[in-house]
Amino acid sequence: MTEHTNPRQTPPSDPPEEPATCSYCGEKFVDEQLLALHRGIEHESRLSEAEADAYRAARDTEREDIRLFRLKALAALLAIYFGFIFVYAFVV
Amino acid sequence: MTARRRLAFTLFGVLLGVVGTAGAHGAGLASASGRSLNVPTWLFLLTGGGVIGASFLLASFVTDRTFIRRIHGWRRTFSIPAIRVLTGIGRVVGIVGLLFVLVVGFVGPQESLYNAAILVVWAGWWSGYAMTTYLVGNTWPILNPWRSIAAVLPSLERPYPDRLDAWPSVVGLLALIWLEVVSPVADQPRFLAGIVAGYTVVTLAGAVVFGEETWFGTVDPVSRVFRYFGRVAPLYADDGISVRLPGAGLSEAKLVTSRAEVGFVVAVLWVTTYDGLVATPLWRRYAVTVVESGVPPNLLYAAALVVGYLVFLGIYRAAAKESKRRARTYVPVETLAHRFAPPLVAIAAGYHVAHFLGYFLELSPTLVGTLPSPLSPPEPVALVLPAWFGGLELSFVILGHLLAIWVAHAAAYDVFPGKLQAIRSQYPTTAAMVCYTIVSLWIVSQPYAVPPYVS
Repeated sequence: MTEHTNPRQTPPSDPPEEPATCSYCGEKFVDEQLLALHRGIEHESRLSEAEADAYRAARDTEREDIRLFRLKALAALLAIYFGFIFVYAFVV
Repeated sequence: MTARRRLAFTLFGVLLGVVGTAGAHGAGLASASGRSLNVPTWLFLLTGGGVIGASFLLASFVTDRTFIRRIHGWRRTFSIPAIRVLTGIGRVVGIVGLLFVLVVGFVGPQESLYNAAILVVWAGWWSGYAMTTYLVGNTWPILNPWRSIAAVLPSLERPYPDRLDAWPSVVGLLALIWLEVVSPVADQPRFLAGIVAGYTVVTLAGAVVFGEETWFGTVDPVSRVFRYFGRVAPLYADDGISVRLPGAGLSEAKLVTSRAEVGFVVAVLWVTTYDGLVATPLWRRYAVTVVESGVPPNLLYAAALVVGYLVFLGIYRAAAKESKRRARTYVPVETLAHRFAPPLVAIAAGYHVAHFLGYFLELSPTLVGTLPSPLSPPEPVALVLPAWFGGLELSFVILGHLLAIWVAHAAAYDVFPGKLQAIRSQYPTTAAMVCYTIVSLWIVSQPYAVPPYVS
């Protein structure tokens, strides 16, 4: 990640009431999950036991989300692919 | 219609390949193209957009951070023997080339196809050489004759006003493209030589006033174009010569660091589009209507150039904003705009190949023929390209887009801690890219119409 040592940060359009803030570099996130992932990626060597656990848990949750996303992406790919096959079959 | 059909099949083939079933359908395609088929324009354009969308979805399947970082971090360094000698030769070649263009432009034969200065500048330098900067590596800092001359001139080292940043290079690039479109700079050798002489005076004066480093690093638009193009290339200088995967240089954070530099990248993309747009029948009809209502043509071309540029900037800015909203991040819009601008260079490089590869190959026998005897050149030799060549050119357009999608994907993984967050951040840029592909393919598919009222 870049320029996180001095992040000139601006809130997103739908900010949470209290952003999750990284205690190592001060970077802000909309939820604890993203903060846990950020800590695990950027400050891996300095994590406390609890933070390491949070990172693992966040990664597991993320893995589930990614799996669901992949199914959707696959469905979209198939839709594009067969959509074009049909269109080409009828038009050409 | 046949050419366009062939292009459409190439595109469709790319789509099949992207989805991963090229092998299974290859035979079907081969037999299909033998039949008498017609692909309507809308389907051709839609297929191009579809390829971009599909490749974005495919890239999103790669979610392993270590893997992405390893691909982009892969480097090998070689030491080149006699690098000093080679550099010296490069500088001499650059300076000799500049003198050649000036002399032959002023005193050589004044028909464009017989004049080696015209051929060296357009076919040799702006087509052929420019291609080497993104396909091989950026050698312009060595070859650049003005830089070599400026290096031996005294320098006043006046402080460069920081608030100007890269904006003078944006203005310079737009001005050069405007000149290219409205003036006979590609037809009249003496005019070309005059422009080159003018550019020489401005460049050397600037380098003397602000210092060589500042001028060629910040202000000179040509150096900047080649520097950005060089980021696409596999070779780069780094204590010897290093190799990286094509495009890997684009995902680094340091490449674009200010709003003006984003403006320059967008300008590079816009001018390639503008160049094609003014050669479409639609533009011809539009321009004729506007000029007949009393607008001077040169003003019309300048206004279209500036307005189109602002539209492109606006779209890019909106995409960066939307990216922040989608990713729900505290990272400022500015930073996102910086990180996601370099991939656009890959797209511009793809269009540059599509525009100039055929032009370069067609003219290169003539170029080689005129070089030994520029003052009494032989008859131009026409090289006729095979019909499938158009499909090859189009595949470079698609390749540029694929590279851009991949680089943006890698940059997003570098910026965001969440993988889904990184993917979502790319929705707006991908949507913009799909639209841009459709527009550009439309331009490419149009019959060439000489821009009215100019040259």
